[in-house]
Amino acid sequence: MSLAISAPSSRAWLAGLVSHAALIVLTLLLAYLALRAPNFLDAQNLTAILRQSAPLAILACGLSVVVIGGGDDVVSGGIDLSLPAAAVLGAGIISYQLSVAGSGLGTALLFGLPAVLAVGAANSLLVVGIGLTPLLATLATSVAVSGLTKLITSNRRINVSNRAIDWVRDGDIGGIPASMLLALLVFAGLAFLVHRTRWGAHLQAIGASRAVASLTGLPTRKSVALSYGLAAAAAAVAAIAILARGSGSSPGSEEPLLLEMVLATFLGGAFSRRRIVTVWGALLGAVLVTALSTGFALLQVNIFWVSGIKGGLILLVLVAAALDERLRR
Amino acid sequence: MTQSSFVSTLGRTLAGGLIGGISLLALAAGAASAQDLSLAGKTIGVAVVGTQHFWDREAFKGATEEIEKLGGTVVPTDGGRDNQVHANNHDVFITRKVDAVITILGDASVDPKLKALKAAGIPVFTVDHLSPEAVNNTASDNYFTGSQIGILLAKAIGGKGKVAVFNAFSGSLQFCGVRYDLWKYVLEDFPEIEIIKPELAEVFANSPEDARKQTLALLEQHPKGTLDAIHVACWDQPAIGVVQAIEEAGRAGDVVVTAVDAGPETLEIIAEKDSPFVANIAQQPYLIGKTAAENVARHFAGEKLLSQTFVPVIPVDGPEEAKRVYKQLGYGTIN
Amino acid sequence: MPLPLAAASLAPGLTLAMTGIVKTFPGVRALDAADLDIRAGEIHGLVGENGAGKSTIIKILGGVYARDAGDILANGEVLAGGAAADMHAIGIRIIHQELNLVDHFTVAESVFLGQERTDRFGGLAKRRMRREAEAFLRDVLECPLDGQTLIRDLGIAERKLVQIAAALIDGKARLVVFDEPTAPLAAAETGRLFNAIRNLKARGVSILYVSHYLGEIVDICDRVTVFRNGRHVAVLDAPNPTRTDEIITWMIGRQLDDLYPAAAVRTADGIEAEPSFAVERLGDGRSFADVSFSLAKGEIFGIAGLIGSGRDELVDGLYGLRPPATGRVTRAGRPIRLDPALAVQSGLVLVPRDRRRDGLVLDLAVTDNINLASLDEVSTAGFRRERRANARATRLADLLDIRPRSVGTRAGLLSGGNQQKVVLGRWLAAEAEIFLLDEPTIGVDIGARAEIYRLVRELADGGATVIVSSGDAAELIGLCDRIAVLVRGKLVEIVRCGEISVDGLIARTTDAAGQRVAS
Repeated sequence: MSLAISAPSSRAWLAGLVSHAALIVLTLLLAYLALRAPNFLDAQNLTAILRQSAPLAILACGLSVVVIGGGDDVVSGGIDLSLPAAAVLGAGIISYQLSVAGSGLGTALLFGLPAVLAVGAANSLLVVGIGLTPLLATLATSVAVSGLTKLITSNRRINVSNRAIDWVRDGDIGGIPASMLLALLVFAGLAFLVHRTRWGAHLQAIGASRAVASLTGLPTRKSVALSYGLAAAAAAVAAIAILARGSGSSPGSEEPLLLEMVLATFLGGAFSRRRIVTVWGALLGAVLVTALSTGFALLQVNIFWVSGIKGGLILLVLVAAALDERLRR
Repeated sequence: MTQSSFVSTLGRTLAGGLIGGISLLALAAGAASAQDLSLAGKTIGVAVVGTQHFWDREAFKGATEEIEKLGGTVVPTDGGRDNQVHANNHDVFITRKVDAVITILGDASVDPKLKALKAAGIPVFTVDHLSPEAVNNTASDNYFTGSQIGILLAKAIGGKGKVAVFNAFSGSLQFCGVRYDLWKYVLEDFPEIEIIKPELAEVFANSPEDARKQTLALLEQHPKGTLDAIHVACWDQPAIGVVQAIEEAGRAGDVVVTAVDAGPETLEIIAEKDSPFVANIAQQPYLIGKTAAENVARHFAGEKLLSQTFVPVIPVDGPEEAKRVYKQLGYGTIN
Repeated sequence: MPLPLAAASLAPGLTLAMTGIVKTFPGVRALDAADLDIRAGEIHGLVGENGAGKSTIIKILGGVYARDAGDILANGEVLAGGAAADMHAIGIRIIHQELNLVDHFTVAESVFLGQERTDRFGGLAKRRMRREAEAFLRDVLECPLDGQTLIRDLGIAERKLVQIAAALIDGKARLVVFDEPTAPLAAAETGRLFNAIRNLKARGVSILYVSHYLGEIVDICDRVTVFRNGRHVAVLDAPNPTRTDEIITWMIGRQLDDLYPAAAVRTADGIEAEPSFAVERLGDGRSFADVSFSLAKGEIFGIAGLIGSGRDELVDGLYGLRPPATGRVTRAGRPIRLDPALAVQSGLVLVPRDRRRDGLVLDLAVTDNINLASLDEVSTAGFRRERRANARATRLADLLDIRPRSVGTRAGLLSGGNQQKVVLGRWLAAEAEIFLLDEPTIGVDIGARAEIYRLVRELADGGATVIVSSGDAAELIGLCDRIAVLVRGKLVEIVRCGEISVDGLIARTTDAAGQRVAS
């Protein structure tokens, strides 16, 4: 018999409440919206939610890989704040190539997508090579990349009209919006890598405990570096989704995405049995966060309240995660 | 000033303005007279890109108040001055199955949404957003706006000098293109006026502060005597920051500012003695919104609308005119 | 379900002969021509005091350290290399004292971490891994577990078995080294572990069992090697409970010197009458439970216990670093709340075991470190009075004989003994009444030790109550008036120092009589 079982039950109850807090609040919010927001559960509205959530879902899936590999500690764990800025940079370059330089789509992608991957490489170098804190390193790249985007687009909106891009925006296959298919593709690829391969199993161990990973002889640095690369690859796909959604690129699009990406990814942890960030949790989180935005718009809630509520939800998720950690100890 | 007194004052001054025959006529000619119009039993979605700026707010208020006056129900959305959020907000109207939509401003990202609305059988009326999907677009007479501000600028700098221009949107917003192109067209008649390249690009949200910083940098690059005017091509929120920067840098009297829109806050700046802000073109955003709402009612009354409805604008040249227009548009009085 | 072959088969045991192994670190000869001889299929015990060289030889076996000299014969063949890969290749597996498991991984994932099975498309063969992990745990380790269970939902013994399964699942283990495997376990849980180890032996695997618990050693081992000061001093065949005294004698092998200040051991009668500090049924819910004792002014009270006895946790609990879950603590008859912030205020101070990390600000000068806990007294209206602070620090440094004498020296540059004295000095400056000294002489040289002992005795003579937690039996016996013996989270006995020998104390803390296994 272990001594451990004599822990007081009030503490266990509290721990249970804390680890489910975000889930409870989200469920209540969604239930409220389903009841009160007119036509919230209409097929049309649900499709609109899916369509709108694509860029966010792609970014959140990408971020989840970095968080899984770097650990979900809010301060020192893995995070890549530069993903939205990198995606917007990609969208900006592709728009510029298509509409200003007059290139074809192939050429435009050839310019835009590698640029996004380069941001990932820079993050890998800063975090793994030099050993900076991911939070600060990627915040810095994010600012730098935003500046670069403004430089390239002269800080202007660039309209894009391209048949393939329009299809991503409006098209569907079997009723599933094309942009969502793009997101599902990214999800499937990343989920397979992280949750179904040896590399993924090692990445999870590395994120959970660097000590265990190195004692087991896992290649920690290489795996973490690759996680930033994969996230950047997701951001490159997100660039296309952002471009399609906005029919072009607008300066400053990265800001709202940043908040929602972090929210969706960490919210996703609440869905997993193990209370950890997962790729599928991030996907689900992204769709639910978008559903919140749509629901609040349907209810005509003031847009600034909506930002406030989302910010509050992020705090709740992070605080719950931190408390969960403490109560578990 | 209370809202109702504001509206009635506005009504009176507008009547005065129209009778006075300033600039153009409203082209919304039609059979149904104002009293017959009704939106009873109709639900109208009104999407506005933001409500922080006077112009946006007034147009939004003009539309929603008129819809309610005509017996309709309003489903409003606010983009928080984020074009993507504004575009996404249009999905709400399909979900809510509204009878018609008035969409105020927005860039091309909103067009696919308008297409979807049209496909769902919902007629779309735009304000300052030209779209093939819309039944009608209500806007100021941007042709007159662009050419008039060009003339006023040329006059302010004596027909010669260097001019910097904030022009982020001529490529992406059709009405901005018109304002910018005609302004430039007029300036071509003054060979001694030179437009500084590269042009500046203001941001969409939080523009005064951004413009202030950009202007401070511009003034550094162009010392006294090498810059005569700064023009904001499509609106005047950035001009607030531009004026601040000029005064901060001690360049008032050296560099003049022109812009378009002329809401109360910029009129107040122009009205100040020795203000660098010398000319503006006053729009009537409330009237524009109201006209759009009336157009919806006309549409339901079976009337055939022209694709464009122009609402008159009022040129503002110097502090005295600023005070006069301020009063005329019902914003109060400036001493 | 029939057992898959891969999981069931274990390689035949390894015969390992290590002779004349030398390993030197700067200033220390950790292994000094040590021999260790393990026969195929036996459970071989390795015992010795702290610093005897046990962990060094384990690290050489694991390939973490390279030996400076000496030969290793594996099944009669000379082993040339000594890198981790070489050791792994000949079938040596180390079961580390730490659990090394990820809390939110499943049993199957943990067992196969780093050696995952994949299907032909490169994806994880999750079902197969689960099956094999479950089979191995059930059949080899007698621990039927669902492979999908999360590690965090397992008991400590089960986690230990998962850790063992992870080391052995590849079927190539021939010598398994257990480093203090029962340290984190409660008494009743060790039985499961022993079953598993005996099972491995029955399957022919060689085992090296390293532990402080002599009761366990004589219970489970076929032969025992005793290390002292980096050398083997004895190899015992057929150990049994009657031979633990013999083992202890080999382990200590030295006479107590005059390190300890002579002091009349106080009779306990006066102590109980007027307790200055009492602990009643204290427990933290996992590492220790039901601990009670009461102390008088002027008493030095020792706490003895091995790793896993709950000694460290008890000290942390008393200071409030980890608030206890049950029981209460009273001072002069009044209950006090255990909270580090309040502890200082109420005159209860801790001199922590890892003073470099917890006790000192290494970049600050000695003066600042000494005055850290009593800033109020050297400040006027919030401003530090530099001269007053220096004067105080110098007076205390003199008293404590801190060298170098200049109080402006950075604390990080001092030797271990002098750092310890600085920490003590700080609390003297704060004029505390109850001192909690956690491993006060770890990393302190002999000369400085004597000084610290003298200081502690002076503190007590001045009326303070001193609690000393130490893993060094001789230190406790020499210094304390009474000693509490902790075994696996329970206070089994409070002994008076005049009535017990060092051997006797070691026999009690190491549970040499093996009562625990029997109970």
